[in-house]
Parts: sequence; structure tokens; C-alpha cells
Amino acid sequence: MTESAHRAASISSDQPAIVDRLSEIVGAQHVLVRQSELLVYNSDGLPGYRRQPKLAVFPGSRDEAIAVVRALAQDGLAFVPRGAGTGLSGGALADDIVVVGMHRLKKIISLDVENRRATVEPGVVNLRLNRHVAPLGLLYAPDPSSESACTIGGNVAENAGGPHCLKYGVTSNHVLALTVVLPGGEVVELGSRTGESDGYDLRGAFVGSEGCFGLVLDITVKLTPKPQTVRTLLADFMSVDAAAHVTSAVIASGIVPAALEFMDGPTIRVVEDSIYAAGYPRDAEAILLIELDGLEAGVSADLESVRRICLDGGARNVRVARDDAERTKLWQGRKKAFGAMGRLAPHLIVQDAVIPRTKLPEILQTIHRISEKYGVLVCNVFHAGDGNLHPNIAYSADDPAESERVHKAMTEIMRACIAAGGSITGEHGVGLDKMRYMEAIFSESSLNAMCELRTVFDPDRRSNPGKVVPIHACKEWQAVPPGRLDFSTPRPLEAEPARPSAR
Amino acid sequence: MSTESIVSAIRDAGQKKAPLRIAGRGTWLDAGRPVRADQTLSMRDDTGVVSYVPGDLTLTVRAGTTLSEIQTITGEHDQWLPLDPYGSDDGTIGATVATASAGPLSSSFGLPRDLLLGVEFVTGRGEVVRGGGKVVKNVAGFDLSRLITGSWGTLGVVTEVTLRLYALPKVDRTFSIALAGAEKETASLLRAIIGSPLTPFAFVLLNGRAARAISAGEGPIALIRFGGNESMVMAEAAALAQVASPREVDSDIWQRVRELDDGAATVVRISTLPRQFPGVSARILADDPPETRMCIDPRRGVLRLAVGETDEVDANAFETTGVDASDSVETIFEKLRPDVWGEVAPSVVSDPLSQRIKRAYDPHNILNPGILGDLL
Repeated sequence: MTESAHRAASISSDQPAIVDRLSEIVGAQHVLVRQSELLVYNSDGLPGYRRQPKLAVFPGSRDEAIAVVRALAQDGLAFVPRGAGTGLSGGALADDIVVVGMHRLKKIISLDVENRRATVEPGVVNLRLNRHVAPLGLLYAPDPSSESACTIGGNVAENAGGPHCLKYGVTSNHVLALTVVLPGGEVVELGSRTGESDGYDLRGAFVGSEGCFGLVLDITVKLTPKPQTVRTLLADFMSVDAAAHVTSAVIASGIVPAALEFMDGPTIRVVEDSIYAAGYPRDAEAILLIELDGLEAGVSADLESVRRICLDGGARNVRVARDDAERTKLWQGRKKAFGAMGRLAPHLIVQDAVIPRTKLPEILQTIHRISEKYGVLVCNVFHAGDGNLHPNIAYSADDPAESERVHKAMTEIMRACIAAGGSITGEHGVGLDKMRYMEAIFSESSLNAMCELRTVFDPDRRSNPGKVVPIHACKEWQAVPPGRLDFSTPRPLEAEPARPSAR
Repeated sequence: MSTESIVSAIRDAGQKKAPLRIAGRGTWLDAGRPVRADQTLSMRDDTGVVSYVPGDLTLTVRAGTTLSEIQTITGEHDQWLPLDPYGSDDGTIGATVATASAGPLSSSFGLPRDLLLGVEFVTGRGEVVRGGGKVVKNVAGFDLSRLITGSWGTLGVVTEVTLRLYALPKVDRTFSIALAGAEKETASLLRAIIGSPLTPFAFVLLNGRAARAISAGEGPIALIRFGGNESMVMAEAAALAQVASPREVDSDIWQRVRELDDGAATVVRISTLPRQFPGVSARILADDPPETRMCIDPRRGVLRLAVGETDEVDANAFETTGVDASDSVETIFEKLRPDVWGEVAPSVVSDPLSQRIKRAYDPHNILNPGILGDLL
């Protein structure tokens, strides 16, 4: 059967009306209903979790996106917004509901060099925006390691970070305004494109809402002038402990590096075995990748101070990248480290805890102890300057015994980070993966306040249901399940779930 | 004072339907719309450090702690909270966060929302809520810290905050540049400074009246503050000297800049796109309207007007001096004569989302009712 014949067969009269309606809006080729086609969308960047969506729809324009949301609203159907699916918390998974993929909305709508800002559609890939503005001497500062694939819309949903957020701040610090279609179909502007706004910071509340407050249609971001000078320094250590102490010492010195990244021995060796080999010393037990930027004079002085701190703290070598090519290579090894882990095993679990930066040496020892206890290989590659850990374990999710050990080890690592006064996620989001830890860091009333905020944006809680805040923590939600698409008996309008009573 | 006592005060007020005026040290109580409340809930006694680990560059304090206390505590470890709202350091951190107040340092270090890592507040239902945390990077849960910042106490009473600190710069120098030349000359000087790779801590322009009010000059001036290691500040000062004729001044001038509002009946903050600022600033600085002290932060894109008792505010002053009408201008009223609010800016929370948030967090409307506008 040809592809088009397949489609004709799948969108037949036994399909619920919504499939036809969505096909009318976006074109039949942009609606997926066949289980085999939907397989691609059954996981995100954290492949240990799988959820099969019922349907996927890919609007090609702002108007189509609004129409799709309104059509879903009319039928009371729940949906999951999705960017490039690079997320690391299972946040983009749709369990038997609709995926609304936003990657076709990829226009850079306007670029305003003079005012250093750009307005983009949500499907614009992070690195593409950066390549677009680089010749103009500008950059978009948030640089998640998945920058070559992840979208700005996804970055907004997750309040994404990246190595350079140490100095420049995370996504929320760079988003000026958003146009959003709320799950009910209403289009609203949050923040201000031209100046400062007063009233409640709805823009700030929306950024990092993990797809639970609605779909972003466009984003106005702040662009940053490229620094005059950038210096990247690689310090290698024969002990993890020494590198951890040096990290704490650099932070305590008051110097704010543009980035301060940590990779341990196992990570170094995996990267060096891969196509992303960066020339890291294979025999080192830890390296720090430290970047300083700003005015030449200031950078040179800070570089000397940082070099001194590294050497005093036991660095074996401190090497400064001579040119852009060397610098890019050093960074590529770091940014592609998770990808390189694919050499070890088919699945990867990554933690994203944040700890107070003085606790780094202690926590790394604890992680090591936990890895030995469970007989798993924990690799550490993370944003040390922020105290944002990414302990990760490559494993096979198809081996139940191994999976169990891995998950137990990860849970114990998370508990240790929470006990150290940390947070359960620094940049990957809560999604599905970290929901079970929410009650360990937030009280019942705090979680309920979050539920209420969500209810403001999404009264029927149809947008990315079952994520971020455990449903049982939401006082008003417990009785009513989110709208599902039932293929056997199309849901009549009057059978929509009741709206929580307006207060 | 403790969170528990605030909870009981709020629950009590809720039961009696008796609204509360939330106050810190009371240094800024004449700002915002008139509040309809017979009782005041003062946070002034809820002070002190909850936790401070200098090596982490984070500080957790009770909301009634003053900015000046914070600077003393952190200064002992060569650290600071780079937050200098207009007014003085006598105000509390809770009020600063609640009103999202910021000053000249904000163009480099960010607004209160950027320095706030975590918050504890008590909602109008008397529930204790925490958002964020104590670490410098955190996306756990929805961003209640940003929601509360700038909500003027109408969603909850801030009881505790965790802040991001910075190391005090090794060198901190301030220069004054007289803007005595023709409009065109001033505009090109401003463009040269803004377009340069200089990274000042602060950069503001004062009109003649403002400069005279703080004894900083006879006519309009620019103030520029550099901080960092010694070689960096030297290089910046040298680069500045290539485009202007700077004169070094004592850094206590910044305290006086923050006091420009003193005695003003009206304070208005006007913002638009940064590119407008060199031209419009040059034009507006050449003017010297009576009773109007002006402070412009061209990098932040904000013009702040403080108008004396006897004069009417001209909130359109900025636009009439040639703002490109295709860019919208945002006007934020910080302080107005109580009787004109209803006419000039009745509400900034009239949109449905804001109304629903207010109803969810303060269903009895007992927290600072009216200060941002009314429930519809």
C-alpha cells in the first residue's frame, strides 16, 4: 500500500471527528494517527520512559496552532506541547493523548540589532538563532547542551539553562515577552516587547511552566553583545576531590566565570573514545573547563587568578585554548558528553540536582559511595559553577534487575542532594521523572499554590496533564480525570469533564 | 515575630473580613494606589539572618531585614547584594521584593526577580507557601518567586527571602561627565558609550535640576560606575577618557542619586526601546522643566521622573520629545497624588489572568486591597 493510501485508510469514518477537523486545519499529512508513526513520539531525551500518544498534530503556522488548540478545547481533549523532544525529564510524553508538535513554527519573525532583541517562533532551534545573530556581534545567552536540536519554545517551557548561565542567567532572564495561546483557546500577550511592565509578572510565571500553562506562539528574547575577549581554560586533576575544592574556591573568590564545567574520569574516557574526542587527558580523574569573558584587561587578570587557584588546589596542568578552533573542540566534548554515553549502553538516566556550591566535595564523595553500593557506573559531567549536578548512568532499561539498581542508586543520590539543602532540578524540569521528589522539597500548601496557579492558566488542566505537580497534591483536581481521546466512542461535547467551579 | 504569627494575623483578618495594609519599615508607604485597610501588618520586627554561607554566595533573611543590615552582614565577607532601589537602604528586603524596586545597579545585576532565589510568603488564606529554594539555579515547580516579586503584597505577605550575592569588587570607581554640549553632541557621546564594549556597573543621566538637587553639577550630567579587578577598571576608565572628559567623583554620589525622589509628589517610570534613548535623552536633558528631577538609565531603557509638590506631572514629556511613535511606551506610576490614581491608572491587574490569580491567592481580598487596582 502506498503512503497516501495508508493515510486515506487511517482517516476513515470510524475515526473520531477531531482527526478530520485537525486534518482540515493543518493538512492530513501533518496529523499522525497510526501507532507505528507515533512510535517516534513515545519518548523524549530520557529514553527510559515511554508513553504512546494517541495522535500527533503539527501546526505549520501561528493561526493553525491557535485553531488546533481551539479544536482540542472544544472537544475537551488533553494535549502535550512538544518542541524537539530533547527534554530530559519525560515532560513531553503524551500518555494516550494528543501531541501538539511545534517544530514547524520556525520563523525568526524579527531581529532588532539596535535594541538587541529578536522575536522568534517557538520551533526555532536555539543554535540557529545564535548562528543567525553571531555575524552581527550578538548572541542568545542560554545555551543548553542540546542547543543544536532544542527549540526556543521548549527552552521557554523548561526555563532551560546551559553552561554559560553561570554568568548570563537562565532562559527567564532573557525572555522579554511571549504570545501564548491558553489551553482554552484565548491568545494573550505576557510581558512587554518595548519596555518594563507592572502588575503581576505573568511572563515570569509562564517561563518554566513545562507546557502546563499553554502553548507559546512567539517569544521576544534579549540578545547579548558578544564579549570582547573569551578565554577557555582546561585544568586537569588526579582526584575528583581536588577539582571539587577548586570549584568551590573559584566561586568563593568572587570571580564570575562565564562557565565552570566539571567532568570526571569515566566521562573523560567515554568522550575521548567517541567521535567528540576533545583532547582531554585520558588519565585524569577530573577536568574543569573554565571560561572567562569580558574586557581583555579584566579577563587577563582573572585568568591569572583562576590559574593560580587551580594550581594551588592541585591541578596537574592548566592549559588555555589558543584559538577559537581549540576552544570549540574543548566545548564540543563537554556538550556532546551525554551523546557519547550511548557507547556504554542503550539507555541513560540523568539527574539534575542542584546543591549549595560549598557542598560539592562532600556530595561527590557520597555519589561515589552510592555508585559502589549499587554496582553501577556513575559518570559526572555538570555545571559545577552553579552547583548543578548531572550524575548519569548508562544502562539497559530492558534489564529489569539492572534498571532497579540504577533507579535505586539515583533515588539515593537525589535524597543526598535534597538533604544537602539542594533542589531536585536546575534546568531539566520536573516532568514525569522528578515528580516523585516534589513532596520532598515542597510542602502541601506550596504544591497546592502551584496547582492553583496552573488552574488560572488551564482551568480544565488539559495542557500536559499529570506533570510537574503530583495530582494528589492538588486539592481541587482529585476527582476529575483529564480529557482523553477515545477512539471507539467519540466523546460528545456534553460529556466533557466538569470545569472546577470558578471562584 | 515568626511566620506563625503572620499566619494567625492573616487568618484573623480573613475571618473578620478586615483588610490589612502590609508594611515594612514604612519608608515608601505613599507609593502605589491608596489601600483600603484599617489595620497595618508591620513586618519591621521580623528581621534577621536565617542562613548565610559566604562560600555559596547566597543569603536567607527574614523579610523585615533592612537593606542596610544586609549590606553590613555581607560586607563583612567582602560580599554584597547589588540592589540599590530608589529611596535608601533603610527599607526592608521584603518591601523591595514585593514592589520589585530597583536602582542604577539593575542594568548590570538585574532586577529583584533576578536576584531572588527563593521566597516564603503567606497567602490571603493564611497558607505558608515556598517558591524556589536556596540554590542559585532551580526550576523545580512553577515559578512562584517571580509571581510574588512585584505583586505589592496583594498575593501574599513575603516573610523570608533567599538572595544571590556577589563578591564586592576589588575596585569601585565612579566618574561624572558634564553634558553641557549641544543636543547632537550629547546624543553622539551617549551612543559612543552605549555602543562601546564597556561594562559599567551603572550608567545614568541626570537633568540639571536633578544634578543640582544632589550637588553633583550645575547642568545635566552622566554618572558611570566601574567595578571589578584593578586592571579592568583602569582599562575601562582609560577607554571612557577617549570618548569623554570624565571627572572622578566619590561613590557616595549613588546614595544621593537614590534620594532624588525625596519630597516628590509624583514619581513616574517611563520605558521604551533602548535605541530611542540617546536621541531622546539628549533632547530632554537640554530642557530643564521646573520641579522635575529626571534620572535616565539608557541601558535599561528607563526614564524616571520625580516631580515636586507644586507642579503637575507631565507623563507625556518623554513622548513629546520625539519618541518614535511606532514603538510603544510603557508608563509605570510609582507615586501619584491619591486622588488622581483612579483617573490616570486605575488598575494594572484588570486582565482576566491577574484577576484569577488574585482570587486564588487572596479570595477575601484582605491583602493591600486596591494598591494595584481593584478586583472586578
